[in-house]
Amino acid sequence: MSLVSGPGRAGVGAMPAEMQLFVDKHVRYIQSLDTRKDELEYWLTEHLRLNGLYWGLTALHLLGHPDALPRNDILNFVCACLHDNGGFGAAPGHDAHMLYTVSAVQILATLDAFAEFEERVKDGRQKVVIADLQDPETGTFAGDEWGERDTRFLYGALNALSLMGLLDLVDIEKAVQHVHSCANFDGGYGTSPGAESHSGQVFTCVGALTIAGRLDLVDQEKLGAWLSERQLKNGGLNGRPEKKEDVCYSWWVMSSMAMLDKLHWIDGEKLTQFILQCQDPELGGLADRPGDMVDVFHTVFGIAGLSLLKYPGLEEVDPV
Amino acid sequence: MASHGISRGSGPVVRSEEARQKELQQIEAYKDLSDLVNTKVAERQYTFEVLGLVTKLLNENPEYYTVWNHRRRVLIALVAEQTQSPDELLQGDLQLTFVLLQSLLGPDAAQKLWSGELQLVNKMLHADSRNFHAWSYRRIVVSKIERLGSSTDSTDANSSLAQSEFDYTTKMIKTNLSNFSAWHNRSQLIPRILREHDADAKARRAFLASELELICEAINTDPFDQSIWFYHQYLMSTISPSCAPENLIVQDLTNGDRQKYYETEMEYIKEILEDETDCKWIYEGLLGLAEAYLEVDAGTAVVTTKDMRAWLAELKRLDALRRGRWEDLERKLQL
Repeated sequence: MSLVSGPGRAGVGAMPAEMQLFVDKHVRYIQSLDTRKDELEYWLTEHLRLNGLYWGLTALHLLGHPDALPRNDILNFVCACLHDNGGFGAAPGHDAHMLYTVSAVQILATLDAFAEFEERVKDGRQKVVIADLQDPETGTFAGDEWGERDTRFLYGALNALSLMGLLDLVDIEKAVQHVHSCANFDGGYGTSPGAESHSGQVFTCVGALTIAGRLDLVDQEKLGAWLSERQLKNGGLNGRPEKKEDVCYSWWVMSSMAMLDKLHWIDGEKLTQFILQCQDPELGGLADRPGDMVDVFHTVFGIAGLSLLKYPGLEEVDPV
Repeated sequence: MASHGISRGSGPVVRSEEARQKELQQIEAYKDLSDLVNTKVAERQYTFEVLGLVTKLLNENPEYYTVWNHRRRVLIALVAEQTQSPDELLQGDLQLTFVLLQSLLGPDAAQKLWSGELQLVNKMLHADSRNFHAWSYRRIVVSKIERLGSSTDSTDANSSLAQSEFDYTTKMIKTNLSNFSAWHNRSQLIPRILREHDADAKARRAFLASELELICEAINTDPFDQSIWFYHQYLMSTISPSCAPENLIVQDLTNGDRQKYYETEMEYIKEILEDETDCKWIYEGLLGLAEAYLEVDAGTAVVTTKDMRAWLAELKRLDALRRGRWEDLERKLQL
């Protein structure tokens, strides 16, 4: 899976008056990503490969083409990223980190391949390293042995452990209290206590609280209001006050609103139009905003946003 | 990485055969260097030569996280060998490694390193004043400097940088009123400053008054900027009966005081309304204040249902994107 941007760019060429989702183009775009090994950027983005695979695979599932990438190749690649300690790196030879371990678990869950994975890796490496990364004092999680802490890693840990049915390995109550300590007066959440509210971090914190069954801790009216103000006149969503719109917030903002049951607090029709304008109608893929280069990251989060908006023909996405 | 804001002048990339061959050579050179570094580190060759190769590779691809980890491995080994003083080693490598090495350095050297970091953060925020990673790192750096200057393990008032950090947010806001990151950091510093200054009831009221004056001026300058309204909401949240004790600006508020604050703010915002009838934030601000007012005094004539209905109607008119939210609010307030 290539994280190389392009080849196409969004919103060029003839956009039909009646906007539509170019499903087949996007499927072919994602299929073509691993054939770009003659581009330097393919190699310079190797540190995102496993995430990219998860993004591409998820997009294909939402588009109703779950088998468009070869299952066996995916599993081979995932297994090749596994380390002795049970964590996964971005690609073979890259260090293990929470961000890739979560992608690996999500891919295995998407492909319903946990049993097959254990069959393939019989040497004991398939143990869970995630639980060891929790800070017993504060309840938060580190990304790896070097210790950077961030609510992203906490959410990733709870997400992956819940997919594996292993939530009882960690101190959920402590994790919940840590998330709660990251809440701000505006109802939003930051990367750590005292940090500015940010839609990406709101998604991770609300997601973690949803997994833990503790949405009662969220100031839902205030946060819903703050999230709804992310929508700009052009229909797109931004991540923080007075920032530019970006297709990826169609996921971070909308999934949070879905968890709070407040999707109707923004104009879904206008957002749909904005996301569709970010497509490349010829070569497939979505960009951050119209006119920019497409990539697989914006492709999956744009499509996932459309799925939350109940765009016809798309599979339903779980906002958590 | 995902391409944020990368725009292209014309359609898809079409490379000439020559350009393609050149790119293939670049790929080969890059992969050779990457393989070399990974092999040497796997063999635990933690030498200055490998450090140089790591530097070269990171210059080509600064997002290669595994190679940053390699760099830490090599530096830790080199420092442990003590062939060169940690200070010298770190000159070219500050931001990455001194966290690991601080225990090996004296307090003066550590102070120097963290002060250098603060300058670096200043530069970063000068270039990108909303970068939330830079703001987060700033808070970490400041707390490190404070701890180094303190006789005990925790920060005391003597070593506190809260006031100078507060002044920094003032400077940033004056440059750009719309910088919510600066407003946010300001809100984080206020309770600390008041505590550290042992502010009495009178000083606290004066402090709140000066913050309200600042934000009201800002509202008057640009009532369409949401950063400003969110800071106004923050100040109002410290007046609410539900404000946590540690976040209070004024600690001895009666409901009568609260009503006064709400009334004054409403009056001020209504004045702006005279020049600016099409700004939805004004109506949202008025409704928020009215709601807060009714929480502390339900039987008042200051806020009328008629006014609230009118403001809500304006919100529906001006802010159709969020119509669902205004309809929910209408039900909630039973208007």
